[in-house]
Amino acid sequence: MRLLTHNMLSSNVKGVTNGFPLGIEVEKVVEKQVELSADFLINIFSKIEWKALVDASRAVGYAELPDQADASMLDSDEFLRKFHHALLELHLEEGALLCPETGRRFPVNKGIPNMLLHEDEV
Amino acid sequence: MIFSFLRASRFFYLSAENFSLPIVESGNVFNSKLLSTMREIKVKGASSICSTNFSDEETHAPQTEFGNDDQNSSLGVQFTPEIEKKYVHRVYDAIAPHFSSTRFAKWPKVAAFLSSLPLGSLVLDAGCGNGKYLGLNPGCFFIGCDISLPLIKICADRGHEVLVADAVNLPYRAGFGNAAISIAVLHHLSTESRRKKAIEELVRVVKKGGLVLITVWAVEQEDRALVNKWTPILEKYDEEWIGPGSPHERSSPSSFKLESIPETEENSLGHVRGFKESSAGRLRETTCQSEEDSAASDNARDVNNQQEYFVPWHLPYHRAEVSGASASALANGLAKKDDKKGAVVYNRYYHVFSEGELERLVSGMENAVVVDRFFDKSNWCIILEKTS
Repeated sequence: MRLLTHNMLSSNVKGVTNGFPLGIEVEKVVEKQVELSADFLINIFSKIEWKALVDASRAVGYAELPDQADASMLDSDEFLRKFHHALLELHLEEGALLCPETGRRFPVNKGIPNMLLHEDEV
Repeated sequence: MIFSFLRASRFFYLSAENFSLPIVESGNVFNSKLLSTMREIKVKGASSICSTNFSDEETHAPQTEFGNDDQNSSLGVQFTPEIEKKYVHRVYDAIAPHFSSTRFAKWPKVAAFLSSLPLGSLVLDAGCGNGKYLGLNPGCFFIGCDISLPLIKICADRGHEVLVADAVNLPYRAGFGNAAISIAVLHHLSTESRRKKAIEELVRVVKKGGLVLITVWAVEQEDRALVNKWTPILEKYDEEWIGPGSPHERSSPSSFKLESIPETEENSLGHVRGFKESSAGRLRETTCQSEEDSAASDNARDVNNQQEYFVPWHLPYHRAEVSGASASALANGLAKKDDKKGAVVYNRYYHVFSEGELERLVSGMENAVVVDRFFDKSNWCIILEKTS
């Protein structure tokens, strides 16, 4: 699971008012390089909840992102590289995502989060 | 310093699996011997990662029902009916690798839609199956989800970003994607409320101005011989359906008592083989008429708006043994053997769509409009644009 995905995921357990962002329980993180697309980064930047991305990247061991960011920083190649790295190149392979209100664990195995709810949670 | 604390308490290592590109080195590289002793690391202060509410975020809209069929049901639209568990979820789990091997042809209309998206778009594929369309446009980033873990594993093995989720309750916050696609998915949802909810979810997760492409199997199949292989579901057992059913197929409010039909021989005239249900639920099924009558019976079915079917999937024996799920499926009566074809036969539940049905489902939506609609290769297709 990339941090891009984490930035989009929200707990949909019944009764939860705000299920975002999910906490991260780290067991295994893997780094996989992928080509940088400035178009994609510029497009996606406005959708990203920056604090959640910073916190998530620190949870998986990457602390290079600035605490705050605004669109003007997208002009900087160095910022783009760090943004790209945090967003797309760090994978949570094993661990779990945690609902911020209920603590419910959504397991992540082989990089795949399982967000399916049980019948009593729906 | 926080940074050195992080180095001590977290770890990551570089793995050669799944990629052929050179590894970027950084100061935090540990070798794998060290890491093999560090199996589980709990993040300290996990709760600190959970931020407070974001006031500018769209709140998840409460479930709205603009159909009537759920009013008598005590179960929510997100509750999976038995018929879908047995005849969609379990079937796809059992047939996943074989199913995936047959899903490779990229449908031109879907490819065209994806190729038309702006560079850098984020595309969400809900019900992505074996990931056939993930990455189709290299200028876009795709995230796929499906309810079947075996299918999702196939996607993950191919390097795609995927997760296991329910199309009726997408775990995505609102307005994130540029586009969403639902290719041959909604026809596996057994109630109108669930189909509507799935469409609402697709619209919810794209941003304003975002596009949603939906394709579903049509009642109006171009290959009539194919339809003759399907088993029409004429009556529904209440427990099988769990509450809300297609209202126009219920002739009385009382529950139906259904009987099992003894198996009949399949013959070259296209009779459909019957099947026996387990005691948990039995379904009445008809055999197709002979060829001479098929045209008349098809018309009769169309007139009666027959839209509920079981569609067979033949899983070759050698594939069935590999998956392992078939032994229990056979024992439970969920599947049957066809020795002549050397295959385990599963039935998949379908609600095929009639002309205009997709439009009708979206007509009540206030935040989306239809921007295109077409019929292609026996599928009804619609493109929506989110307006607010």
